[in-house]
Amino acid sequence: MSYVVPILLVAVLAVGLVKRVNVYDGFVCGARKSFDLSLTVFPYLAAVFIMVNALHASGLDVWLTKLLSPPFALMGIPSEVVQLVLLRPFSGSGSLAILTDVYENYGADSYVGRCASVIMGSSETVFYVASVYFAGTKVRRTGWAVPIALFCNLLGAAAACLLCKVM
Amino acid sequence: MNIVWTVVTAAALVALTVADPQSVLSVCLDSCSQAVTAALGLCGVYCLWMGIFEVAERCKLVEKLSGCFARLNKFLYGRLSETAERYVSLNFASNLLGVGNAATPSAIAAIKETERGERLSRSGAMLFVLNATGVQLVPTTVMGLRATMGSADPSDILLPNLIATFVTSVVGVALVFCAYGKAK
Repeated sequence: MSYVVPILLVAVLAVGLVKRVNVYDGFVCGARKSFDLSLTVFPYLAAVFIMVNALHASGLDVWLTKLLSPPFALMGIPSEVVQLVLLRPFSGSGSLAILTDVYENYGADSYVGRCASVIMGSSETVFYVASVYFAGTKVRRTGWAVPIALFCNLLGAAAACLLCKVM
Repeated sequence: MNIVWTVVTAAALVALTVADPQSVLSVCLDSCSQAVTAALGLCGVYCLWMGIFEVAERCKLVEKLSGCFARLNKFLYGRLSETAERYVSLNFASNLLGVGNAATPSAIAAIKETERGERLSRSGAMLFVLNATGVQLVPTTVMGLRATMGSADPSDILLPNLIATFVTSVVGVALVFCAYGKAK
């Protein structure tokens, strides 16, 4: 698997060479746009980070975790990973830190550790993606898109815990 | 987003003020500088991939890719402009590869192409849901972390992960069909 990206990079360059495209010029032109893109994204990142960090620093996330553990248990999600499921839609780096904690406390090969791995791998930072993707557009009302994505992530977490039990 | 962000942030800030009023400003400021760092980091990632994608575009590779996904795109999105279709295909391919953040530039470009008004269109919703349900074949980051944390077999989560991803994506697509109707 570790060869996929290197091969891809070399292949694109090689095709450019064969087709006599100005590869160097193309790369520079494409790369130039990245600065504008990250500038458009930046204020949205700041907003999401303020929300996540305030949530974490106030201890509100721990309180929510406690509150939501019983209903999550009904779906077969063990209490050890509830915090991960809750934080995952908001922050990628935050949920990665929780994942590391889970590995440290319960072991990477334990049931809880494997659940957490699959939850992490099969879900996405929904709010983060929502703020970044719509950054350059006029879209203000996202309708059903965010609720559907959140529901799917929750479903994915339940499926992950179930699958880790049998596999 | 407006309501979610405002309500959650306000609630968290109130709770934080009660618990530790001194830290409110520093938490907010830290978050903003964290955003600066993250934006610069993303800029680096985008720089590499947008450069490579531009080269692929000029070699007409993206056009071919879009040809491969034509039927799938037709089913998922209905009629799209040619440019949008290209970006959507590129986005799908980079998601499958699972390289962190490589899918973002193409998704933003596709959404810029499909969205005109304030209300998110069906195509935009479909693209968003597909990206947010994590169509990713190999969870590279998670497996790397497991390896460093002493897992005997870091890749034994591959199959359950694949199934879980598949389930969420299929349900996500189905729900978009329910909420927005069939592709036109």
